[in-house]
Amino acid sequence: MDTFLLEAMINGILLGGVFALLTIGLNLIFGVIDVVWIAYTELVMVGMYAIYCLYSGLGLPLLVACLIAVAFVTVLGALVHFLIIAPILDSPPINQLLATGGLLFFLQSFATLLFTTDFRNIGVRLPSLQLGGMFISTARLLAFIVALIAVTCLYLFLKYTYWGLAIRAIAQDRHIIGLMGIDQRWAYGITSAIGGALAGLAACLLVLQYDIQPFIGNSFGPIVWMNCVFGGLGNLVGGFLSAFIVSEIIAISGYYISTDLSYACAFAAFIVIMFFKPRGIFSK
Amino acid sequence: MKKLVLLVVVGSLLLATAGCQTPKPAETATPTTAPTAAAEKFRIGVIYDFSGPFAAGGSTAAATGTEIAIEMVNEQGGILGKYPVEAIVADAQSDADVAVNEAERLLNAEKVDALVGIYSSAHAVPIAAKVDQQKAFIWLGVPSSTAVLKDKHYRYVFRCLPHSDQFGELSPQFLSEFSQEKLGIAPEDLKVAIIYEDGPYGTGVAAGNERGVEKYGLQLVLKEGYSSSAPDLSALITKLRRAQPDVILHTGYNPDITLFLRQAREQGLTFKALIGHGAGYAQPEFVEKFKSDIEYFLNVDTPAAQLFDPSVLAPGLGDLTQEYLKRYEEKTGVKDPPNQASSGFNFTWLFLTQVVPMALEKYGDWSPDSLRQAAMDLDIPDGGTISGFGVKFYPPEHEMSGQNMRAFPVLTQYRDGKAVVVYPTQISAVEPVLPLPAGHPYAAE
Repeated sequence: MDTFLLEAMINGILLGGVFALLTIGLNLIFGVIDVVWIAYTELVMVGMYAIYCLYSGLGLPLLVACLIAVAFVTVLGALVHFLIIAPILDSPPINQLLATGGLLFFLQSFATLLFTTDFRNIGVRLPSLQLGGMFISTARLLAFIVALIAVTCLYLFLKYTYWGLAIRAIAQDRHIIGLMGIDQRWAYGITSAIGGALAGLAACLLVLQYDIQPFIGNSFGPIVWMNCVFGGLGNLVGGFLSAFIVSEIIAISGYYISTDLSYACAFAAFIVIMFFKPRGIFSK
Repeated sequence: MKKLVLLVVVGSLLLATAGCQTPKPAETATPTTAPTAAAEKFRIGVIYDFSGPFAAGGSTAAATGTEIAIEMVNEQGGILGKYPVEAIVADAQSDADVAVNEAERLLNAEKVDALVGIYSSAHAVPIAAKVDQQKAFIWLGVPSSTAVLKDKHYRYVFRCLPHSDQFGELSPQFLSEFSQEKLGIAPEDLKVAIIYEDGPYGTGVAAGNERGVEKYGLQLVLKEGYSSSAPDLSALITKLRRAQPDVILHTGYNPDITLFLRQAREQGLTFKALIGHGAGYAQPEFVEKFKSDIEYFLNVDTPAAQLFDPSVLAPGLGDLTQEYLKRYEEKTGVKDPPNQASSGFNFTWLFLTQVVPMALEKYGDWSPDSLRQAAMDLDIPDGGTISGFGVKFYPPEHEMSGQNMRAFPVLTQYRDGKAVVVYPTQISAVEPVLPLPAGHPYAAE
């Protein structure tokens, strides 16, 4: 087999890891709270700036900076829910969309105000692995492994804990859950916090690969969105798998056709799927 | 609690908007009476973007250069030491409609004698058409797109700056000259890859690259565009590794250049030389960030005045550059101004010290017709301006009518984190280093 093609495919899978993390975070929120967070990838941007400030600014060790950043974005996720989403939970979906859209512009502008549009990076470079003529980025491999571990942990949490059960139940029927003695407000808050934590974790993994700038969310937002819809909005397993399918489509078409058409190919596949399976490729 | 939240949100919004406001340029108070040819003052309309995205992209810098030139001419008593220059400044707000309206206001309400400036080619296209139709006079500042003048046959529009087609063709020309000598590869065996962001700028330069590669008989092994906001360029890099180009010609902005270089390093991409084409490759923060990684990288750009060794320019121009640099630093605190500032200064200086005086002395007044005849008479040899090139305009029957035929972009190379001119050879003081020396992060082993 062509080693270059193999390399492109491996890179696609590794890229899919980070996409999967973000897709699951967004899908979880949508599945449980039924609100579309347009500003989700902006939380990643906030997390990246947090790491930058803590590590490059205050000189904390990278691991400590990452842990604090994850905690920070977790709290931020919960705050977004309680301050922005909760008051408009019963309004029409378009209002909710506009509110999180407003948050997107607010976060981007606020970051521009604080940090300007300069590109910043934390200056950490990991060596790459060389395997028989193929080069594999360690930062990406790390991101892939951590993403898989995080997704496994989330699965175990949802499957084996009380609040995990509550969250799954609420996703099935949000109205009846109150009768079962579960406080929906807490379930929503916890879900948003988990969504925030996944965004924070993604920030830790992406900060090793990308420069930080106020609009970095725009690079990932559309793809993450497509993954969610591709796999079925609210369908966790579907979102997880579609992240890998989409990134493989991008990698292989990028290799065989061209880089600027690779995203067009992914979106074309998306449109075709939507014709036949409007509720996502993994819908029943 | 709700009130507190509201207070915090409103407070932050106010803070954000306060930070976003860009001060408007002070507009010179102007008399309402229309000046005659015998007016004591030469009234010049200056259009640049002082707000919006173009402002920080080089437009304000160009405007500062223009301001310095006008200030220096006035300190000498004005044009020919007799006629002071009065500038009426307008803000195009990075918006083509505003730019056109401001140009009309300056010409028809303010009745200026000539227009100078404009940053964006998208503004220059409609304004040039309007000005020429009205038989008014415009001396363009820094818009570089070939399309502004090509096949238009304007008579009252002039541009000293090199145009975008020239950017794309310079790098293949340079390679054809140095390939054998420096790389030991015959030009026809030299493998070149062209990669570019797929917006109008990147696509335009890449088309120029391709023409140049064909013209000089180099081997094109890959030509590929990508979106400047793409989150991943690893497939492109894998293809580059497969194609094994000796030289990569790259046109991009940011974040794409940064992402490309980072992933290229992770994926072990090596090459003998990389030539960037302005934009992202010329930004000071880019140089700051990559330091040793981009050492010996080449870049095609309009020359900034401070890059030239005064010995390759006409006598006296070194002092003029120093004076401009000194004043620029006094005004902005910036020691190393971008090329747009040099252009803004240089071209306005040329206009006020050569074109307008010639119009007055030779043709009797500074009407648009006299100004255009004086501009057509202008004949400055290479090395005769602080931008390195000479000035001679193509006549109206030429497809590039009004374009300075002697303008050329230059090729710079990063040495110890500073750009130095290495090509064309007649104005460069330093020899290019090719290939990337052993031990360089991107050098082939």
